[in-house]
Amino acid sequence: MASSTFPTARPPFYRDTRVIAIVLQLIFLIALLLTGWFLYSNMVARLAASNTAAGGALSWAFLNQTAGFGISEGPAFRPDESYGRAFLVGVANTLRVGVVGIVLATLLGLFAGIARVSTNWLLSRLAAVYVEIFRSTPLLVQLLFWYVGVIAALPSIQEATELGNLGYLTNRGIHLTWIFITETGRMWLIWLLAGFVLGVVVGWLRRRQLERNGLTGSAALPGVLVFLALAVIGYFAADMTASMPEATAYELRRGDRGTLFEDVNRNGVYEPGVDRTLAYVPIKLFDRDGQVVATGLTEGDGTFRFINLPAEAVRLEWETPAPLAVSEPQLQGFNFRGGLSLTPEFAALLIALVVYTGAFIAEIVRAGISAVNKGQWEASRALGLNTGQTLRLIVLPQALRVIIPPLTSQYLNLVKNSSLAIAVGYPDLFNVSRTIVNQTGAEVQVILMVMGTYLSFSLITSLFMNWYNKRIALVER
Amino acid sequence: MTTEIRSTTWVNTDHPAPAQKPPVTEVGVIGWLRANLFSSVGNTILTLVTAVALYFIVTGLVRWVSGAFWQPVWENRKLFAVGLYPIAQMWQPAAVLLMVSALFGLSAGRWGSIMRNLGVGLAALLLLFAIIPIGAQAQLVMAAGLGLLLIGYIAGARVPIASRWLALAWVLSMPATFILLAGGLNLPALGVRWQFVPFVEVNLWGGLMLTMLLAVVGIALSFPIGVLLALGRRSKLPVIKWFCVGYIELIRGVPLITLLFMGMTMLPLFLPSGWGNPSLLVRAMTAITLFSAAYLAENVRGGLQAIPKGQYEAADALGLSAFDSLRFIILPQALTKVIPAIVGQFIGLFKDTSLASLVGLLELVAVGKAVIQQPEWLGTPGGIAREVYVFIAVVFFVFSYGMSFASRKLESKLGFGKRQ
Repeated sequence: MASSTFPTARPPFYRDTRVIAIVLQLIFLIALLLTGWFLYSNMVARLAASNTAAGGALSWAFLNQTAGFGISEGPAFRPDESYGRAFLVGVANTLRVGVVGIVLATLLGLFAGIARVSTNWLLSRLAAVYVEIFRSTPLLVQLLFWYVGVIAALPSIQEATELGNLGYLTNRGIHLTWIFITETGRMWLIWLLAGFVLGVVVGWLRRRQLERNGLTGSAALPGVLVFLALAVIGYFAADMTASMPEATAYELRRGDRGTLFEDVNRNGVYEPGVDRTLAYVPIKLFDRDGQVVATGLTEGDGTFRFINLPAEAVRLEWETPAPLAVSEPQLQGFNFRGGLSLTPEFAALLIALVVYTGAFIAEIVRAGISAVNKGQWEASRALGLNTGQTLRLIVLPQALRVIIPPLTSQYLNLVKNSSLAIAVGYPDLFNVSRTIVNQTGAEVQVILMVMGTYLSFSLITSLFMNWYNKRIALVER
Repeated sequence: MTTEIRSTTWVNTDHPAPAQKPPVTEVGVIGWLRANLFSSVGNTILTLVTAVALYFIVTGLVRWVSGAFWQPVWENRKLFAVGLYPIAQMWQPAAVLLMVSALFGLSAGRWGSIMRNLGVGLAALLLLFAIIPIGAQAQLVMAAGLGLLLIGYIAGARVPIASRWLALAWVLSMPATFILLAGGLNLPALGVRWQFVPFVEVNLWGGLMLTMLLAVVGIALSFPIGVLLALGRRSKLPVIKWFCVGYIELIRGVPLITLLFMGMTMLPLFLPSGWGNPSLLVRAMTAITLFSAAYLAENVRGGLQAIPKGQYEAADALGLSAFDSLRFIILPQALTKVIPAIVGQFIGLFKDTSLASLVGLLELVAVGKAVIQQPEWLGTPGGIAREVYVFIAVVFFVFSYGMSFASRKLESKLGFGKRQ
């Protein structure tokens, strides 16, 4: 009888899948390294041959060199500061437009998405038209349209369009009446923080109590009430106990402008970087005869400036401000002072990002809501809930599970798309980095910094959204 | 004692009850209005507010469109279509258009589904431009394209052409397009220089033609890379897997514009000094392809994940090699599933090509900027920026929305995304 043909010996090594796997990976790794080395050596050779300011060396020394260019908006930046700080200012500007954009786009998207599933035919059609138009055209075209076609076409400063008391629209920017936290607002902020912590604790305790005793009710409401109560009490407490710093001093120039500041080293002279400026403080200007010639507020940077005073001011008095101050933009000479000013670049970029991303978010919200089983709507109606309650208590919590993951990627897209700022000259991270490259020639290093920054934004956002997603995910047994 | 039993049953002898007309408030126009616009007080208020807003939007829009100054757009229509491409050699882009129309016709007839939807859209556009007086020769080309499309459709439906030949024709149409547009082949790195007409340098290509070219090349070239990356990401070999994951996440984490600028300035650095510098077009296409590949890989991965495990096991049981099982069993199923997603990505890429205007390519948006700065319109009150950008937006909208509409029809036919 022939022996069994069932193979008992191990296969030869060249047919062993384990060996093949290792060999394949080794080959892949070697090919990868060779390609990388090839590209890298070419780059080093070409950089050495070029005559950029960085001298072809891949050094990071440029980060400490003087930038020599100004940045038009965002955190204060002087041309004598370093390239490294210029980059950080760019990062701050990206975050500024990104965070505000995300909040506004979410609100717009939520509204349009709910409008899209509304039973009101007209409203849902209107929302659909909005979504389709803005989703199907490039963001860059929209951005240029807002910037060149809308904001640049607004009236000049002298003939600014007035929005009631809310502010002014001009071709040099949008000026809004805004509420600012003043000098004494710090004390109030501490109250707010305490109220927040206490509110969270109360909410948590209430939830535990409700769960233990099997009661129904809102756990969030007591927490919110505690927070609101502390916020109101804190406002008055801060208002009553507030005082201006001991060493408050002012600098008056040309009789109509100057700075209000805390004279930290008490030498009577305003020194930027040492002394602390005082924002949104009510001031009165007096002339030689002791007559009041003007009243107003200092600005966010502690400065004030008046045009066309009836007489030259020689003395200034200040009052202790309330924690919050309303500042209205006022036309003084050739520009608006006070209020919240948005540059045309920032306004165009923000509008474009919000409207574009809002359309995508609306579609996500619509998909999320229609993903909720129709039976859930019907069951909810059967229980006697009205449309608003159904949406708030039954549908949206379930829809959120579908909405969150794509919403995360829309937030990331918004931040990435803010790099289009370069098309209108808003000094965001990418725009500033191009200026740095043009001046130093440190192409490779700056590209690495830019990519690293965007990647870390992505990573942080996804980590946060994943955490939130896990919190609201369906708990299954 | 007697008990009288009375029937308490009532029998309807008038059965069935005579049909009555539904109340006039529940059906027809009035019923529809009631259900959709005036179902409650709140809804009525909403309808009225929306109607007022709509009235202002529509009248404002109509007034603007009729009063706008469209002459710059109309006079620069050639610039918007093909950029600075020499007038004398316009037959070359025309030939490309005819070739693509014929291929679309054949594919629509042979394959149907999304190709038919897209073919209908293309036919409508060709018809539109054959009627609008854009210029006798151009209209003639459009009409010829429409004719070829229709002939191709009939031929494709009647003659059983092998799918693989049609696919090969599509693949070959890409280099053919480049050779036709350039007027020959010019590859200094390989020492090839052949021309049948005077060369048209790539920096003269522009307008919608360049926009299309960037998007199509971006998707087509990224396709093989994307499929490999998707397979690699699902591989059991850790080195390959982590390389693919790293690549995909790195590219998806940064904006396209950083990659475009990187391609512009760093791509030449990576090549040996002897090779010279590639043209702007090649640099932009490389950046767009590398970008698109990462997104395509994620789409394909979605398709791969949707294949049941049994398909892999069945392929193994049949004794197919790993390669054959991918080629005959897995990829055909996975790729069919992701067609709508790939169309969606193509639309995104089509819109994203507008960024190429920021790195010096003369595509649609860059043409728009150039037109705005033409000296003859500088005195126009209010400027012509609004008209130009609205026109460009409309062009993008027609193509993007058309494609997404075609894709949505396919999705509903395939039964994707259906929920109760």
